[in-house]
Amino acid sequence: MVMSFFRRGDSTGLEAITARTVSMLADARHSFDLASAAVLSGADVHTVADDIRSTDDRINKTEQQLRGELVVHVSVQGSDDIGEVLGYTLLIKKIERIGDQAKNILDLAEEGIDLSSGPDSAELTRIRRTISEMMGEAADFLSSADPDEATAFRERADTLRGELEGKIRDCMHSELPGHEVVPRAILYRYWKRIVANVGGVVTTATEPLQHQGYLDDGETDIDD
Amino acid sequence: MNDATLAPGEREMHWGLRSLLVLTLVYVFLVGVSLLESGVKVMGADTQQRLFEGVSNPVAGLFVGILGTVLVQSSSASTSVIVGIVASGALGVDDAVPMIMGANIGTTVTNTLVSLGSIRQSEEFKRAFAAATVHDFFNVIAVAILLPVELITGWLSGTAEWISEQLVGSAGVEFDSPIKKWVKEPVGWIKDIVADLGAETNVLGTTMVLIGLMVVLLALTFITKNMRKLVADRIERSLNAMLGKGGGTVAILLGIVITVAVQSSSITTSIMVPLAAAGVVTIHNIFPVTLGANVGTTITALLAALAAANSNSLTVGLVHTLFNVSAIVILYPIAKIREIPIRLAQGLAEIAVARQALAVAYVVTVFIVVPLVGVAIFR
Repeated sequence: MVMSFFRRGDSTGLEAITARTVSMLADARHSFDLASAAVLSGADVHTVADDIRSTDDRINKTEQQLRGELVVHVSVQGSDDIGEVLGYTLLIKKIERIGDQAKNILDLAEEGIDLSSGPDSAELTRIRRTISEMMGEAADFLSSADPDEATAFRERADTLRGELEGKIRDCMHSELPGHEVVPRAILYRYWKRIVANVGGVVTTATEPLQHQGYLDDGETDIDD
Repeated sequence: MNDATLAPGEREMHWGLRSLLVLTLVYVFLVGVSLLESGVKVMGADTQQRLFEGVSNPVAGLFVGILGTVLVQSSSASTSVIVGIVASGALGVDDAVPMIMGANIGTTVTNTLVSLGSIRQSEEFKRAFAAATVHDFFNVIAVAILLPVELITGWLSGTAEWISEQLVGSAGVEFDSPIKKWVKEPVGWIKDIVADLGAETNVLGTTMVLIGLMVVLLALTFITKNMRKLVADRIERSLNAMLGKGGGTVAILLGIVITVAVQSSSITTSIMVPLAAAGVVTIHNIFPVTLGANVGTTITALLAALAAANSNSLTVGLVHTLFNVSAIVILYPIAKIREIPIRLAQGLAEIAVARQALAVAYVVTVFIVVPLVGVAIFR
């Protein structure tokens, strides 16, 4: 603890927090990939469950540690970075929620849901891959946010959210039996929330604090 | 995240340039201490006696130390001024010791004031007020034990004098300090300028003392401000390391290191108060850091003693260090004794949360009313 004072640091306080936030997002992506694979490709649920739960524990602990470190940052550095610090408290909560939603997807697999052999399996795999790649891009935005690329990213996230919402609506009006439709509707619903949170992560990194979690200059609430 | 912490047009100073600025400010600070010393020396012997006869009573000296420190919100500044006056010969080591102890109590007002910032949120305020006043209670208990011991046995001043003798020679003599030589020239220039304006003896001395006071206060303010900027990332890193590991002896060392770096115990303790308010650290984590801050802040008076180059001023600086180290040795190692200031602070915080006006009354009474009444009675 004392030696850390004398150690030459490579990064400032917020840079260190950013690095840990990026690794937290990587953990959330890992959980998402495993949980989705358990539902879509028939992977062994017991094998992935322990990994997902321990990753989620790590995400939760990191969130709590980062909250403390953000308070330390404001205490030591003063209020210059207060906007960013408040943004980070929102951001790490969004990442923590992605971890929780991955656990929800795991719950589906643990209930015996297996969508690997359905007619829409290729489509489901495509969406899963898109979301996973978006998480990787979101991590890049945390360390270097380009406003134009961030806008393009948010537009893609909005389009995907709209697509998922359409699929949920289709499920509600589907003639197919419940055991086929309900798991899909629930999965789409979790994915929609994950996409909203990933979009929120990028918004937090690039938008003014008062507009975060909203679209159209604060008019449209993207949380539901 | 967006990198927009600097205002438009504002540029962050290079660390090398800032380090150079700090070194220059330390030199200016030492010139200020030397100016104080020279100013008091220039005054007539009668004036010196009249000025300092009030603090020959140790209790009055203690309260003057509290009041002076509350006024400038820095024990580093007040103890440096005391060192300068002792170097002039107008104030003896025995009279200065209670003032140094008072400065230790007075400096705790800053973080207590910081804790009042969260007075509207009761749970936060309870944690913040307890974290701040544990410093008050520790210092008051330390004085209650060590002042009588000092008055009866002269243990602190005797030990400090012995160390001082080992370092620079016999009591009361001027020692050969290169720093004294460096600061002599500008002090001479200022004295000549003021004398050329027609000032003599008391007027000349008073003017030099006032300029010295101003220089010491301003230099310390800017040293603290710039050092904080220089080491903020290091402080942040070490506090983050503490979050995971708690308190103990290592936290005392951390308090010493941070305070020596920023030259202000108030900065160290005031950083800790919002952390306690937010519940990020507990009062048990903060307490040892606070004790370390008490020791770390004594470096400034020792630095001032180098400019004064009088063995008595070094003795006073060492008394400050010895007092705070002794207080830790007496009050920290045994868990039951260590808990006393913590329990008192938590109890006071419970009362303060129930009646918030009492928290304000506590600050006014302990740091202003009692010292004022004390000085009026005992001087």
